[in-house]
Amino acid sequence: MQILSDISSALQRGKAKEVVALVEQAIAEQVPAKEILEQGLLHGMNIIGEKFKNNEVFVPEVLVAARAMNKGTAVLKPLLSAEGVKANGRVCIGTVKGDLHDIGKNLVKMMMEGKGLEVVDLGTDVSPEMFVQAAKEQNCQIICCSALLTTTMSVMGDVVKEAEKQGIRNQVKIMVGGAPVTEGFAAQIGADKYTSDAASAADAAVAFCAEMA
Amino acid sequence: MPRLTVIMGERRTEIPFEGNPTVRQVLMGKQVPVHHPCGGHGVCKKCALRMEGQLSPRSDAEKNLPAEMRLSCTTVLLGDACVWVNQDAMTAIQHDGIMQDVTLNPMDGHVGAAVDVGTTTVAVRLLDLHTGEVLGVETRENPQRAIASDVIGRMEAAMQNEGEALRRSICGAVEEMIGNLCKKAGVREADMRVVTGNTTMLYLYTGKDPACLSCAPFEADCLFDLKEGDTYFPPCMSAFVGADITCAVLASGMMDAQQTALLVDVGTNGEIALWRDGQMLVSATAAGPAFEGGGIQMGCGSIPGAVDKVWVEDGKIRYTAIGGAEPVGLCGSGIIDAAAALLDTEMIDETGAAEEDELLIAPSVFLTDRDIRSIQLAKGAIAAGIKTLMDEQGITADDIDVMYLAGGFGSHLNLASAARIGLIPQALVDKTAVIGNGALSGAHMMLLNKECMEKARSIAAKARTVNLGGNPTFTENFMECMMFE
Repeated sequence: MQILSDISSALQRGKAKEVVALVEQAIAEQVPAKEILEQGLLHGMNIIGEKFKNNEVFVPEVLVAARAMNKGTAVLKPLLSAEGVKANGRVCIGTVKGDLHDIGKNLVKMMMEGKGLEVVDLGTDVSPEMFVQAAKEQNCQIICCSALLTTTMSVMGDVVKEAEKQGIRNQVKIMVGGAPVTEGFAAQIGADKYTSDAASAADAAVAFCAEMA
Repeated sequence: MPRLTVIMGERRTEIPFEGNPTVRQVLMGKQVPVHHPCGGHGVCKKCALRMEGQLSPRSDAEKNLPAEMRLSCTTVLLGDACVWVNQDAMTAIQHDGIMQDVTLNPMDGHVGAAVDVGTTTVAVRLLDLHTGEVLGVETRENPQRAIASDVIGRMEAAMQNEGEALRRSICGAVEEMIGNLCKKAGVREADMRVVTGNTTMLYLYTGKDPACLSCAPFEADCLFDLKEGDTYFPPCMSAFVGADITCAVLASGMMDAQQTALLVDVGTNGEIALWRDGQMLVSATAAGPAFEGGGIQMGCGSIPGAVDKVWVEDGKIRYTAIGGAEPVGLCGSGIIDAAAALLDTEMIDETGAAEEDELLIAPSVFLTDRDIRSIQLAKGAIAAGIKTLMDEQGITADDIDVMYLAGGFGSHLNLASAARIGLIPQALVDKTAVIGNGALSGAHMMLLNKECMEKARSIAAKARTVNLGGNPTFTENFMECMMFE
């Protein structure tokens, strides 16, 4: 459908106003909200995600595209719940206690939203207790921890322990990332997954949610 | 006991060891120039060395290295082994700079030493306190680099019981440098010292636990302005903006005039100070090691063969390499020039997207598309820091009367290229004063005129720190400043 590919292309160019207008037009034309979401908004965001992976676009382009997507999704939201469309899964995400660097975390959040996941953003400087509490209260399948400092990444291990302590370790997957984090480190602290970039993190999260559904 | 044989040119040193340490652990503190920029986490691969002997199997991190090369940080010694270390030429270290004239009213003593302890380099200037005459200058790399090359890595080491080793290595080096200078100048000893540096360096120099500097809320429990024995440590402004910046501000004289002035020290951390209407705003922004060649595939220090200048002539990219040698890599100034040249020749566009994966600058020397992204992050962080302070004051670059560029990197930078890639605002190119090692000059001024200590105190007291981490204005500016337009 032309209008859906127009939405996708406006989103890729980061044109928030254009996206909103096109989404409203599509709704007026009786296109189902689910189709607008999947074949318009998420389609465009996926292309941006792929281009980011291949170094064709960079952080700023991802950010403006994600902003445009959020504006479009806001318009769709009431219709999506009326149609009974559910997100592919729910993730809580934050930078660990002591760490304020949130650009990487924000990128992961955008990529995950672009894959149709619902993301609970816990912000920066998040304690292990806060991660686990959020996962419990909001029924998240995945906890995502980000750290940019070698001095704070050890807190990720505490998140794993806290999930064990509160008895939800077998109900959630714990994903870790950030510049100093490695696959070896993730294994050492007992996390479920390390990914080296935001787009792969979103792919991994989608796979986990499908597995756990 | 098994031995590790270290071969450096003609020199062979045998180091006995017990148990199964990593190569890094054995080399540490042994005056061997091997750097571990990522702090020994097997991430940066800059500590790759040729090795032979009884070694642990190759790790995943070593997958793509040539067969004989291993990482010093992850390779475990199982018995006798041999390692080859390059006597990589010393990086040129900035030790001179402009400063304000001071009337002689010196600190107590006969001979003084101004000491700037940088994260990468150390500079000492010996002064006759009666005449104000400079008796000599010596520089070297900060020996703590053998333990970890960046600030975070060193804090981490200090918190894991290596604090005393870090303290000894830097204090030992400084005393040795002062001793050398005294011998050359024919004086017995230095009886007064002013030691400046960033907040972490001063913590490590004095053996304080840097834990409070290592994670949020990043509040330093000591900001110095401290005299210990015959050593004075000037005041720091915050956990991120140290005594080196207080000293550079002092040396620049930026607060002496009715003007709007910016001071920028570009390094792994970019420190920025903005002076306007009797107010001083300061900030530090994490640029990462890209401008020192770190994280850039062919990045290197200022060694022979480093491409240090790049420009475009008749649509073609031209270059010079240090010492006229065969080009081997790109040093900081070359990296910025190269990015500017790639923009001018449209091999990359204003978003940083590259035509090819490898962008040739000189025969066999190139920037990769990933390098361009690292440069965007680094220059974006500095430019966004500058813009955020200007936003805080409600001004633009046009309102700034002068920009002081401090530090070694700033001295070699081509300002036109820096403006071309958007590291500094275009409007400031013709208003820039390069002040060199302002930290050292500030310490020098304090030794010669003790009233400068009072001045430094007032600089630090006036300074208001603007935190950039988690600051929405900064994040917004950062996104914008990552572009090349």
